[in-house]
Amino acid sequence: MENINEAQGADVINKPFEFTGKGGEFFAIWIVNVALTILTLGIYSAWAKVRTNQYFYGNTLLDGASFRYTANPIQILKGRVIAFIVLMLYYASSTLSPFIAGGALIILMLLVPAFIVMSMAFRLRNSMYRNVRFNFDKNFKQAYKIFAIPVVVMGLYVFLISQLQNGLASNPESQFFGIAVLVLVLAIALMFPWWEYMITHFKVVHAKYGTSDFKFTASTKSYYGMYLKMYGLMILLFGVVGGLAGAAISNPAITSIMGIAMPFFIFVMFAIYLWIFAYIQAKRTNLVYNNLDISGNKVRSELKVMYLLYLYVTNTLAMMLTFGLLMPWAKVRTARYRASVTSLNVAGDLGLFTSAQEQQQSAIGEEIGEMFDMDLGF
Amino acid sequence: MIKGSYFNGETSEKKDVSLYYKNDGLIGFNEISVDEIQFHLIKVSSRIGNTPRYINFPDGSQFETDDNIAIDEMVKKLANDPLHGLAHKLESAKAFVLFTVLAVILFGWLFIQYGVPALSKQIAELLPDEASQYMGQGVLEAMDKTWFAESQLDEKKQNELRVLFNDLLKNIEGSQNYKLKFRLGGKIKANAFALPDGTIVFTDELVNLAENNLEIAAIMLHEIGHLKNRHSIRATIQQFSLAMFVMVVTGDVSTSSSVITAIPVMLVESGFSQGMETEADTYSLEYMRSHKIDPNYFAVMMEKLAASYTPEYITCMEKANKHVNKIQCITEAVKLNKKEESNADKSTTDYFSTHPASKERIERFRVK
Repeated sequence: MENINEAQGADVINKPFEFTGKGGEFFAIWIVNVALTILTLGIYSAWAKVRTNQYFYGNTLLDGASFRYTANPIQILKGRVIAFIVLMLYYASSTLSPFIAGGALIILMLLVPAFIVMSMAFRLRNSMYRNVRFNFDKNFKQAYKIFAIPVVVMGLYVFLISQLQNGLASNPESQFFGIAVLVLVLAIALMFPWWEYMITHFKVVHAKYGTSDFKFTASTKSYYGMYLKMYGLMILLFGVVGGLAGAAISNPAITSIMGIAMPFFIFVMFAIYLWIFAYIQAKRTNLVYNNLDISGNKVRSELKVMYLLYLYVTNTLAMMLTFGLLMPWAKVRTARYRASVTSLNVAGDLGLFTSAQEQQQSAIGEEIGEMFDMDLGF
Repeated sequence: MIKGSYFNGETSEKKDVSLYYKNDGLIGFNEISVDEIQFHLIKVSSRIGNTPRYINFPDGSQFETDDNIAIDEMVKKLANDPLHGLAHKLESAKAFVLFTVLAVILFGWLFIQYGVPALSKQIAELLPDEASQYMGQGVLEAMDKTWFAESQLDEKKQNELRVLFNDLLKNIEGSQNYKLKFRLGGKIKANAFALPDGTIVFTDELVNLAENNLEIAAIMLHEIGHLKNRHSIRATIQQFSLAMFVMVVTGDVSTSSSVITAIPVMLVESGFSQGMETEADTYSLEYMRSHKIDPNYFAVMMEKLAASYTPEYITCMEKANKHVNKIQCITEAVKLNKKEESNADKSTTDYFSTHPASKERIERFRVK
């Protein structure tokens, strides 16, 4: 497959993605979903999820064909029931004792890599384009290897610190603890870009469209570039605002108007937080998509930080002012923007992919992962 | 004739075709040579807004079209299935959607206002006593490490208050586990806590605010009210119910929506916690009335507490060194605070507060 396309050296044609959903239309679907979910005490939520996904997939078009979500609601319902029971047990255990809750949390954490793999498989298996399914190789072993790295590093660090601290216990005045925390924060900040690269690489190279593999052409260097720039901007912004706030607090003349200044500082901090969120979302998405390659066809993504920030701010305000009623509108306009800046550089023919053999997946991984708020997308 | 695309299921090749159907239920394509097939053997996807429709054939092939009207017409003619497209019929009926919006808003409000607190109360009463014994074990140790220091109150004062506490407990059923402890608050300042295992902690700063032990008794009764009403367990259950509700409404808890849901959730949780403070106040008020303690002691103490957080009080205390001076500090701070309060309006920050506006709380204890 890949060889055919690449060997042809055909002209590359840029085909845009398109999102044709409408806020009002999705609002009706969403509110009926919520009402039926309440009426059926949550059972309909599985059907609601399928209808919502089908709406967003179906409205995403590429080269005159739509994407399709094919998950079976019954399968999702089974997963939700199990996830609900697990969550209930976790909450119950956290009221009983922090020790039991801690143990339960550790067990759940140990299952996270498995959940992620199963969830990716479920989602991709149930995604279709041109009657050819996507797929995901369930490589649990490698998933555990990648997730073990941060756990081992952190564990080693905690062990070392506790050993050193015992030695220093005689000197309670020492600033040892503060320095230790600082070192840890720095270590995490430095390790994170590399770790995220590993996870994304894992997800991409195990994904398939039909029988064709995805390739991931990004390097760890590009991840470090993105994150170091963000760290720098973060330190600069928070440093300036924090410095100003500190100056204001220590100056008695200004302290008297702190009542007015405080909400302003909180607002500025929140704005910076949103900016960082938009920055990382835009840059990360662009980085991942621009390095996706399927049989010589390359994805293009040109998300703009400022426009994404504008979307987040207006979406947040709209949802706050309407108690969430404008959420469907917000989701649709975000999807429309994302599609409008995404395209595929088609080298050759999109009609040459072949289907793989059918196989069933379990929904349990996906639903438990979702209940515990893991971001499982690319 | 329905125009669309045909995919054979083996490759991603797209063929532009038009589908025809006959009144006897046979379906076929004009442009490609596949056998005609009976309608009951194919699977037509249900309609979702204006997204494309898919027809799946037993051989694995698929027909895709955006002509929803033509597909609906075909299904109506050939299928005898009133349930097909039911969800879409509901979603596209304007009156029904409007009715649903109102119903969901009403339900959401009722659920949060009455449903969650009532439910959590029921469950909390069902749970055995042992549950709250285990709960929060180690909470005090954690607080000791981070905030508290050993109490500097003299033995005499501590014993006096313990006797008072035990006297109060004599009239309260199921209070044999309740214990009184003192700590130097430090950054926490004047405050009192009820831990789920029955320990009530008073900071030295709070004790020092009182001129009369009955003022402290009023606060003790408020904390006992928290314990009697099992507020810690109820708070956990309420948080859980609220999380479930948010999940139902948003459909998912993704990173982007959690930023947005955080604020409404905070508002609702502070509302729940205000409700619990009012319940604890009620307990204290009823006890004081039935045992002939003047409820005004609670009001006085609340005023002092509010005043003890003002910058004027803090600067005054830094200068003060004798006990008499300290009492003067709080008296003056209370006066000043009252003056300021009568000038200020109720601000929006009240909605974010975990405690009800102290003015309203104080009024309850002043009304005879």
